[in-house]
Amino acid sequence: MTQGNEALTVGEMLLKHGISRRGFIKYCTVAASGLALPPWMGPAMAEQLHNAPRPSVVYLSFQECTGCLESLTRSFAPTIENLIFNMISLDYNDTLMAAAGDAAETARSKAMQDNFGKYVLVVDGSVPTGAGGGYCMAGGRSAVDTLREAAKGAAAIVCVGTCSAFGGIPFADPNPTGAWPVTAIVGDKPIINVSGCPPIPEVITGTLLQFVTTGQVPDLDEHRRPKVFFGNTIHDRCYRRPFYDQGKFAKSFDDEGARNGWCLYELGCKGPTTYNACATLKWNGGTSFPIESGHGCLGCSEPGFWDKGSFYSALSSGMWGKAGESTPLRVLEVGAGAAAVGAALGLAAAGSARLRQHRSEQQTDHETKGG
Amino acid sequence: MAQLTVSRLSDIAIRVEPKILGGPPVIAGGLGGGVSAILTELVTLLERLADAQTPAAIDLRSLPMSPEDRVALKRALGEGEVQATVNAQGLSTICETRISGVWWIEHRDPQGELVAELLEVTRVPEILASAPDDIAAGAQTLREQITTLAATRTSSRSNG
Repeated sequence: MTQGNEALTVGEMLLKHGISRRGFIKYCTVAASGLALPPWMGPAMAEQLHNAPRPSVVYLSFQECTGCLESLTRSFAPTIENLIFNMISLDYNDTLMAAAGDAAETARSKAMQDNFGKYVLVVDGSVPTGAGGGYCMAGGRSAVDTLREAAKGAAAIVCVGTCSAFGGIPFADPNPTGAWPVTAIVGDKPIINVSGCPPIPEVITGTLLQFVTTGQVPDLDEHRRPKVFFGNTIHDRCYRRPFYDQGKFAKSFDDEGARNGWCLYELGCKGPTTYNACATLKWNGGTSFPIESGHGCLGCSEPGFWDKGSFYSALSSGMWGKAGESTPLRVLEVGAGAAAVGAALGLAAAGSARLRQHRSEQQTDHETKGG
Repeated sequence: MAQLTVSRLSDIAIRVEPKILGGPPVIAGGLGGGVSAILTELVTLLERLADAQTPAAIDLRSLPMSPEDRVALKRALGEGEVQATVNAQGLSTICETRISGVWWIEHRDPQGELVAELLEVTRVPEILASAPDDIAAGAQTLREQITTLAATRTSSRSNG
């Protein structure tokens, strides 16, 4: 999809698009700031990338809704984010590429062959293993087979979205297609999870940029997510946090508390157990994020978010009886101490999700070995 | 260096913030220590620049600063002799502060939004200096222009 541009360095490619070296230094400075890298990294990155060939990226889409790619391409800072596509050589993406059919498959094989051991593999969507992998086929091959083959020559795998990172919605109970995250299928490659349903565009581009600049996997948390973006909970950085600390909660979406912008914890906000950058980077070019628009966080960047009970039950309710029962309101009336208990229970819920994740990985290992 | 002693809780200055309504996030102010911490860091960075010619930078957007802190910092550093603008992917302003070697840099995107704000401690910010490759390309462009000019002159002379 970048015919004729293969040999260009990043700098040459940018000049072709009218981006001067100063423009590029500026871009890298802004990117370094967004990535929480030391500020002197900006000019250093610009220097290093300017003369480097653009790294090859193969983007595979499996059991997904294309929301992640929509997020990436609907970025609100086109001059900035489109630069990313000038800085990488996106050699295969079945949604964006002009080629189709055999020509597309050939392009993928060629990119993987030419850049064996060096390309970045981006995976979007979970991998269904049921019915012999028959739930997701492209070019006569199952997603499982395509992933296994593509993973062999990848320098690293970046899982974009909660589906490829943790299984996402296809993985939700009862998981009719036998869907698994990439970590359950590929065990011998560095994997970076950029979760979210969808992830924030700047988090996707920032993670790719950091990897192609430094050639190194960034610091990851226990779910293999880059700590620079997933180091804090939404709650940690939420501008409504002072109300939580004061015990001021909205009780319904149209009450006095909601109008005053009070904390949405009792309306089911999953901010306390959700690690993501929404509260700081925000969405739509830094315009807003769900909580700022008056709705609680759904926790979409966490494993198993779809199976954690109602989006509208307080975190503390999940552990006691059926979701939606009125216990949380009663408990929270006691005050901030109870809210802290709620947060702790939320953490416990996250812990059990992790357990489940771990169990599922083992199960798949067993299944794949058996098969 | 002056020693700050805090022996009782009541010694810690606390400012009560006005009621925060929904809308843009408000970082709690009153972190007054922030400004003096930045100034102290600048002293260290300036000494390092003077001794070892090592440039450095502070990313202002990564620090929890209230609007008041920002104003206080701007006032403390003052305005120097150099004010430059760079028009590349939106406007950037590069201003030397009253403190030689400390540059206040604001990067804006093409829509005019502030996308990065830094204090650079350096002789000349990297973005202002011409790059060696661009200088070589500039010489080439001029050479071509001279050739074109000479050709035009020759042809106009022969025509006249």
